[in-house]
Amino acid sequence: MDTPSQPDSLLSRGSHLSDPSQAYTFHTDLDNLSGGTTETALGASISSIHKISTLNLRHTVDLRAITYGGTVDENLVCPICRCPFVDPVLTDCDHVFCRACIDDALSHGELCPVDRLPLSQATIARAPKMVFNQLDALKAKCPCCGNIFARAILENHLEKYCLEAMVRCPGSLSEQGCTQVVKRRLSTQQCLHYPAQCPDCYETLEQIEMESHRQTLCRDRTKLCDYCEVEILRCEEIEHKAECPDVLQICKWAQYGCQHESKRRDLYLHADDCHFKSIGPMAEMLKVEISSLRDDVRNLTETNQLQERRIKFLESGQRASDRPMDLMDLSLASMPEAASTDSLDSGHDYLLSLLETQQSRLSHLSAELSDFQGKNTMMLFNETLPIKNELAELRSTQQVTCMHVRWLMRFRMQENQRRFGVSPGLASTGGPDGGNGFGSDITLSRRLSDSSRDVITKL
Amino acid sequence: MAFASKRLGKELAKIHGSLPPGITLVTAEGFQEWLLDIQVLDANPIYMNKTFRLKFKFSPSYPIEPPEVTFLNTADRPVPMHPHIYSNGIICLDLLGQQGWSPVQNVESICMSLQSMLTGNTKNERPEGDEQFVASNRRRPRDIDFYYHDNTV
Repeated sequence: MDTPSQPDSLLSRGSHLSDPSQAYTFHTDLDNLSGGTTETALGASISSIHKISTLNLRHTVDLRAITYGGTVDENLVCPICRCPFVDPVLTDCDHVFCRACIDDALSHGELCPVDRLPLSQATIARAPKMVFNQLDALKAKCPCCGNIFARAILENHLEKYCLEAMVRCPGSLSEQGCTQVVKRRLSTQQCLHYPAQCPDCYETLEQIEMESHRQTLCRDRTKLCDYCEVEILRCEEIEHKAECPDVLQICKWAQYGCQHESKRRDLYLHADDCHFKSIGPMAEMLKVEISSLRDDVRNLTETNQLQERRIKFLESGQRASDRPMDLMDLSLASMPEAASTDSLDSGHDYLLSLLETQQSRLSHLSAELSDFQGKNTMMLFNETLPIKNELAELRSTQQVTCMHVRWLMRFRMQENQRRFGVSPGLASTGGPDGGNGFGSDITLSRRLSDSSRDVITKL
Repeated sequence: MAFASKRLGKELAKIHGSLPPGITLVTAEGFQEWLLDIQVLDANPIYMNKTFRLKFKFSPSYPIEPPEVTFLNTADRPVPMHPHIYSNGIICLDLLGQQGWSPVQNVESICMSLQSMLTGNTKNERPEGDEQFVASNRRRPRDIDFYYHDNTV
């Protein structure tokens, strides 16, 4: 194990795979990973989803070793390394090179490699952004899964998504602390780095290598097929049996009674002679027909049950609403049923429609109520108006009568004065409140009640 | 070696695709030594109906450093007669020296330069002091300090 503090260990621990995949390097240096993203340190304690994501390894893609899709524009190819530019720079003689390439070339002589004009490190500038954009958009083949991506997202793809790219073994997060790497498509399972025995050659090897071992490496990986004697892989025996031409197979009309059995390759010979060849298709057709009819029956039974339930519900509802309003109730309740019997499939729909009817009825009622209230107010108003008028008339009549009475009183008093020679001033001072002529009139009229009766008789 | 082999891989892929007339690839096993045949296409009497074999030796710092290019001398592939080509196959061409080389050059462009160098030649002779040079030289071509005097080729 390298100590993580040595920067050189970074690449030495990353693995170069066989020839085409030299294009990328992944960094298994865990300290470096956590230092860069701090995800590892957190993820181990948070959630399982987070754990999976921390299996990611940092990938570095060698952009000079990957394959590009289609032909790359010659203007985007570095004349020194003959690859699409990597970190392009522009010289003051207007030539573009990869930064690494021109650095190398200048270390051997300060001339532009293309036109041999003097060129120094100082006059080299970053290439225009447009060049970078064009390079980022180049279609590059993923060195692991072979799919085509824009060059700029290739590293991200390898780090996070590519199923064939290497990630840390899921065992690294469990107590086992596995330090190996596996392909991402295998990382959803448990750690597969445990010894297992090959069922073919009985050799002991790691489970993770079993698949490729059984397919390409195992010395006992092949066998002769029991039937056709063709060499097949043991791990694909079952698949082969399903299509082996020498396996015995029964006639396709066997379920209708054909007893014939022959090798798969000869079965077509029997197909013409089979006694069931005319009955078979018909039976098949009937079978389909019957099953479809059965389905129909089942559907109909269901509908029937539903409708029965609805009828029961309606009947019970009718009984409950046995009141004076019954007639109106019925007419309204029957509305949804009459309008949309077909569309109401389930009890829920029915109940809902019932609810809606009730609601509309309620609103209808409230409208009527307010109408009625209005009418009532109107009527009340109409009734009270003449009463009020009459009242006012009566009041005025009463006033008039009062006036008459007063006048008569006065007249009467004057009559009395004249008759008995009593001065009105004396009479008024005799009362408790002399200022009030009206009050004194009353006292007078009381005192003189006998005499006034006389006057009336006289009148 | 990585840089050189990547660049040579690209060149090889291109050479397998197409080569200019008169140039054929003989072997290119690995990225250290390639053999190519060249022919002079026009009717130059000195090289008529002759094929010459070139040996390219690449250093790990190719294409920053030039490859070592010499003519091979076999029974059916002679070393062409030229005032700048010694009889042991060493070529005096500034393109192949440290000074004249540019990383922009490649195997194909070297072959074409040599083709045109032969095409334009009219002297059926070896360079001055050929015998002495061939007898005494133990150095590798790249270490020889040629004096590039002749700008006509």
